[in-house]
Amino acid sequence: MARISGVDLPREKAIEISLTYIYGIGRSAARRVCDLAEVPRAMKTHQLDETEVVRLRDAIESHYKVEGDLRREFQQNIKLLMDVGCYRGLRHRRGLPVRGQRTHTNARTRKGPRKAIAGKKKAPTKK
Amino acid sequence: MARSLKKGPYVEASLMRQVNQTDGKGIVRTWSRRSMIIPGFVGRTFHVHNGKLFMPVFVTENMVGHRLGEFAPTRKQTSHAGDRRLKQR
Repeated sequence: MARISGVDLPREKAIEISLTYIYGIGRSAARRVCDLAEVPRAMKTHQLDETEVVRLRDAIESHYKVEGDLRREFQQNIKLLMDVGCYRGLRHRRGLPVRGQRTHTNARTRKGPRKAIAGKKKAPTKK
Repeated sequence: MARSLKKGPYVEASLMRQVNQTDGKGIVRTWSRRSMIIPGFVGRTFHVHNGKLFMPVFVTENMVGHRLGEFAPTRKQTSHAGDRRLKQR
């Protein structure tokens, strides 16, 4: 029922928690939004009346960049790095870690699942 | 920790001298990869040493605030023989 920035908020949770379902709003931002909108943080989401929802919506719109806009900004920043041709951009392009981490081992978050190399012998398993 | 704003951007003094001497056009050869690109460098070409060669770097507006070395990779990009779809650069 309460729909803010294109996201349906869970009904049974405190508004302070519900707001974190919006991309770009974490716990501390959620608290600040509640305070700005003068809504009690612990209030359950389904107990909010229309005016409170409107106040929350206004508070988010005027103070935070959320959802699509935020994702777009995020992508644009990466694209900028790639276009300008700097080291960080190259790492983004190759899908490798950007901040100087090792890649000899690990780095699986960036590299994705391990790829088998044809013809590579398995290390003998220790007894 | 970030650099204090009071000091301003770091540009090697010798690089600054070279840039000022070759006003406007002219390529500046440098080893100073750690120097920040300042707005005054826009439109200039630098030859930045990567440990082996001097890589030409043409400075655009978006590069301001980065360092010269970021645009001259020091490592060869790896690839395996028979790798399909070699990524461009």
